[in-house]
Amino acid sequence: MSANTNNNVPVLETQHLVKRFGGLTATNDVNFTLASNGRLHAIIGPNGAGKTTFFNLISGRLKPTSGKILFKGEDITGYSTHRIARLGISRTLQIKSVFDALSVEDNIWIAAQAKMAGWHPLRSARHFPDTQRRVDKVIEEVGLQEIAKREAGTLSYGDVALLEMGIALASDPELLLLDEPICGMSPKETQRTVEKIVELSKLVNVILIEHDMEVVFDVADDITVMAQGGILAQGSPSEIASNHEVREAYLGFDEDDDGELAIMPNEQDIGQPSKGAHSNG
Amino acid sequence: MSNAAPTGPARSLRTPEQKLAIFNRVLSAALILFFASAPLILPLVTNNFWIGITAEIMMWSLFAASVNLLFGYTGLLSFGQALYFGAGMYGVAIGVAQIGLGFWPAFGFGIFCSIFMALVTGSLAVRLTWHYFAIITVVFSLIFYFLALTMSSITGGDDGLAFQLPPMFQFGDTEISLTNSTLQYYFIFIVVGLCFFLKWRLLASPFGRALVAIRENDVRAELVGINVYMMRLASFVISGFFAGVAGALFAFFGRYASTSYMFYHVSGEAVVWAIVGGAGTLFGPVLGTGVLIIIREELSLYWDHYLLLVGVIIILTVIFAPKGLTGLINSTVLKIVAPKHNPDTEAQSNLADDKARQPAE
Repeated sequence: MSANTNNNVPVLETQHLVKRFGGLTATNDVNFTLASNGRLHAIIGPNGAGKTTFFNLISGRLKPTSGKILFKGEDITGYSTHRIARLGISRTLQIKSVFDALSVEDNIWIAAQAKMAGWHPLRSARHFPDTQRRVDKVIEEVGLQEIAKREAGTLSYGDVALLEMGIALASDPELLLLDEPICGMSPKETQRTVEKIVELSKLVNVILIEHDMEVVFDVADDITVMAQGGILAQGSPSEIASNHEVREAYLGFDEDDDGELAIMPNEQDIGQPSKGAHSNG
Repeated sequence: MSNAAPTGPARSLRTPEQKLAIFNRVLSAALILFFASAPLILPLVTNNFWIGITAEIMMWSLFAASVNLLFGYTGLLSFGQALYFGAGMYGVAIGVAQIGLGFWPAFGFGIFCSIFMALVTGSLAVRLTWHYFAIITVVFSLIFYFLALTMSSITGGDDGLAFQLPPMFQFGDTEISLTNSTLQYYFIFIVVGLCFFLKWRLLASPFGRALVAIRENDVRAELVGINVYMMRLASFVISGFFAGVAGALFAFFGRYASTSYMFYHVSGEAVVWAIVGGAGTLFGPVLGTGVLIIIREELSLYWDHYLLLVGVIIILTVIFAPKGLTGLINSTVLKIVAPKHNPDTEAQSNLADDKARQPAE
């Protein structure tokens, strides 16, 4: 597997990916390619479009019904979740999920040492200078230095989101999957988190699922639109905004105006009606 | 963690948390010192009967520690640990009485039996969590309980299996064996002590941190790259090993093995000891085991229904001190040391208060 040295091999590629739950096809023949070019890629789509299912398939939490998933050219279809994580795909969850009873530092520490958890059973976890350096760096990257010793369960919602990103970054991944990272945040928290995401996307390949259209069209370099389990359209924000199919199927607009970006600022029209209580897949 | 500023009078700048850590270290040292010197001091204050009880407390503490490793650190509540205790016990008894092994081979055989049993049953059990896990551990322990009861040609069935204690060492005509009660006590002390040392090292390592991560959030643990199944299995087998060592020691201590120690009632007792003492702390189970065994030994002489009191203690613990006696002691100490702190450390002490309050919510 010397694929990682080859720049032509995409970071992530899915081929005819299908996932069915009984009669429901949550992911329908998805062919997705993410080139390793340090761009921020967003996935949008209405509720039930199969976005989170797509993430669950990539991260191994669900096994595909058919199709293939390639990570840096390696076929990872059917790998276990922890094995995929160790290969370099990290993700956050839609419902924020950290180690509540542990400090911020320990949260990141555990993630940084996950690969070696089965080894060195008699050596103190504290006596790993490499881990210490990594943890310090990640805490700085996500900007949680001041509350590094706080218990994760006592953090504000916005800080938990940053911590979750820190946990995902701790293992030094090559691909970061963010599932609605700013969902449910105050405007101030949103701004801070979005800035962080843009910063991170320069260090690591990021795929972002997000419902906030203002944010998506503001920060994403590329957008994939999903609907009913399949990919509806792919392209730059301006291409997507002027795509008639997308406007009809997802944005719910007829061709009323003159196909301009007029819809984009009106977030409340196109975002989903109720944030918070949505279920994908 | 101990990145205290190198300048200034470090002594007076200790945070309440650091003071608590020192207190805990002193308490642990006192506990170890007590067990190390019990055969010397107990005869001065009471009769020799209590030396045997102290030895028992050590063995049962190790058994409670095996429950604690699973429940307190890995988040798996096992109600079937008596199976591995029994495997260690019968391994020794069968090794000596049926196979004719010497002291050390029989000890090793007992431990091997418990590890093997934990590996076989654990590989199935740790696929489940919570009540499913609790139920399957009970079921396994019942299956082997009845098996031990019916296979009387090997296990002695209802009567149990008594055996002659083989010598530990033999130099020509001189034999050293556990019939010397002081030697027996210190043998138990050293073996239990080594097990607790091992547990302490394990828990401080990346392995131990991974177990705590699984306890806190198994989904997230798997997503950061921890092999949750293998970690749970490893924890289960190590826990079975501790229970097996305790059972093997108990077999030597009593010179017999009995199915009554394999009954799930014994497993439940270990859970109670661990919870009352404080699950998720190294010495909590020792405290819980000690207190409850002393209550049993003292009270059962005068009052047939002493278990009522034990029941009340458990209920009070679960409601008012979910972190057990250890948690209760820790929060009390924090309350005592917190008001006297230096203003510089105010922020940190608030944090410590939060931590102390946390479990009570």
